[in-house]
Amino acid sequence: MAIMNQTKVNPYMRSVSIIGVGCTPFMYTVDREETNGLTEGELFGYAALKAMEDAGVSPRDVDFYFHGEASPLNGSNYLTPNIQIANWFGMKGKASIHHSEACCTGYYAIEEAVNAVASGKYNCVLSGCVEFGDGVAVPNHPYKREKMTMDRFLATTAWLYDRNYTRSFMAGQELIYDDAAEWYKRTRGITDQDMDDTLNWMCINNRRNASVNPLAIERTTYEELAKEKGFDNVMDYMRSPYNPKMGDFLRAGAIELKCDGAAAVIVCATDMVDKYMGNKSHKPIEVLGVGCAACEATTPHFEVTATEEAVRQVYEVTGVKPEEIDLFYSNDFIITSHLVSAEIAGYLPYGEGWKYVCDQRTAYDGDKPINTNGGRTSFGHAHAASGLADLYECVRQMRGEAGEGQVKFEAKTAMLRGYGGAQNICTYIIRTKD
Amino acid sequence: MSIKLEKVVQTFYENLEEGKITAKKCTKCGNVEFPPVYACNKCGCWDMEWIEISGKAKLHSMVMPAPLSMKPEYKALGKYCYGEVELEEGARFNAVVRGINKKKRDEILEKKMLPVNCKAAIYQRDGYKTVVFDYVEEE
Repeated sequence: MAIMNQTKVNPYMRSVSIIGVGCTPFMYTVDREETNGLTEGELFGYAALKAMEDAGVSPRDVDFYFHGEASPLNGSNYLTPNIQIANWFGMKGKASIHHSEACCTGYYAIEEAVNAVASGKYNCVLSGCVEFGDGVAVPNHPYKREKMTMDRFLATTAWLYDRNYTRSFMAGQELIYDDAAEWYKRTRGITDQDMDDTLNWMCINNRRNASVNPLAIERTTYEELAKEKGFDNVMDYMRSPYNPKMGDFLRAGAIELKCDGAAAVIVCATDMVDKYMGNKSHKPIEVLGVGCAACEATTPHFEVTATEEAVRQVYEVTGVKPEEIDLFYSNDFIITSHLVSAEIAGYLPYGEGWKYVCDQRTAYDGDKPINTNGGRTSFGHAHAASGLADLYECVRQMRGEAGEGQVKFEAKTAMLRGYGGAQNICTYIIRTKD
Repeated sequence: MSIKLEKVVQTFYENLEEGKITAKKCTKCGNVEFPPVYACNKCGCWDMEWIEISGKAKLHSMVMPAPLSMKPEYKALGKYCYGEVELEEGARFNAVVRGINKKKRDEILEKKMLPVNCKAAIYQRDGYKTVVFDYVEEE
C-alpha cells in the first residue's frame, strides 16, 4: 500500500447546526429560452436567498459568506467570483472568500462554514456554490453564454492534474474513470458480468430517484427509455449499444451530466438557533464532524485511500457507528463512487454492497438509500454546486419534506462524502437535533 | 540540514535525457520518493539525496485504456495498460505499463499472477522524455 499520513481531528469548540438550505433546478441554461442568459449572481443569489428564507434569517443576520465555484475563469470569465456577485443577495460590504476544490467544492463548503462558526468568530454563515458546467460565459458580453464543448471541457479538466509529473506519466488522470471499478472487482472477487450489472443498476437506481425529483435534470427512467427502444427488459437496454462502453468498465450512463446550477446552506451556532430561526418549525440539523483527506492522482487507488482516511477521521471524532447512518450521499460523477464509498463507510457491508445495488435496496424506496436526488448521472453535476445540492436533498429527507421521493423510514443521521479535484475527499455526518 | 531551494523537477527530466531514472531517498528513514519531491512522505524529513533507481518493479493492478481514457498521442505507446506500480526501492504510484493488452490482462488475472514484474523505461514524448514501464514475462 502507498504511504498515507493520517490526521487526528479534534471536536468543535462549539456545536454548529444547519438551519436553512436552498437549491436551483439543475439545468442546461443555454438550451431553454426561459433560462438562457441566467447569470452567476442570479443563480447563487437565488440559492442563497432560498436558504435564508428557509432558515428564517435575513441577509443582515448573516455574518460572512463562503463562495464555491470549481472553474470560475473557464465557466464565468471571473478571477474573484465571490466579489463579482457580492451585491446580489443583500450582504453588500460583508466579507467573503472564494474556494475551489473542483467537484469536492460543495462538500468543503460545509467544512469551511462550520469551522468559521465553531471557532466562535462568526455566529451565522452562508455557504453557497454555483457552476456553469454547461453554459460558459461569452467574454466581453454582459450575460450571453455558449455551450461548453466536450473538447473544451476535457482541455480544462486537464488542469486538475499535476503538470510536473502526473500529466507527464499519463496514468493518474486516466485512472479516474475505471480504477475504482477495477479495485472493487479485484478485491471483492466478483466477475466482469457482476461488475457490469452493478454499474448498470446504479444508473437505473439513480435515475429512478431523479424521476421523482423536480429539481433533477434527467427524469426519464431507464425502464421508459428501454421501452421506447423496443426492449422488454431494462438490463438488455443497459447492455446494448444505446449505453455503450466508454471505459474499461464504465458505460455512457455511468458518467456525470455536466450542467448549470447553484445551492446554498445557512449554518449557525446551535445554542443560538432560537434567535435565528424565529417561528420556523423545522428542527436544526447538527454537523457532528467532518473528515478530510487528499491523494494526488499519482497515488494508487486515490479515491479509495483518501476515502478510508476521511471516513476514519469522521467516525473517530464523532463517535458515531456505521450502523447509525440512515442515509448516504456520495459524489458519483463516476458512478462507481457511490458503491465504493458506501462500503468503505460501512453503510453497506463489505463485499456485499453490489448485491444491495442490484436488488435496488439503494434506491430512494429501499432500506439503504444512496443519492436519493439522483446523483451526478441523473440529478446532474454543476460541479461545485453538486455537493450542496446533495445536502439540500439530505436535509429535505431528514425533515420529511422530500415529497414523492421521500425515503420510507425516519432518517435521523446521514453521512455525505465529497470527492473531486484530483483528488480531495471531505466526509461529514449530520444528525437531526431533538 | 536546512531545506534548499532546488530545481528538483528540471533535474529529474535532465537526468532522463542522460539516460538515468532518478528518485529522492530520505537520509533518515530510507524511504524513496518517486517521482522525486522535497520531503519524505513517510517520516517528514527533508534531508533527501538523489539516487538512481534500478528500474525493477512490480505491477499490482491493471486498467485497460478505453475511449474515455486514451488520447491520440498515446497510440505511440503500442499496447499498454494503466496500473499501480511498486519500485524495487519501495515507492508506489500510478504508471503506464507497456506490453499488456486485454488478452494478456485476462491471462494474468485468470492465472492469478498479480503482482507481475515490469521494468522502467525512458519514453520520448513531444519535447521531453518521461518514464513508463514494460511488462516482463516470467520465464
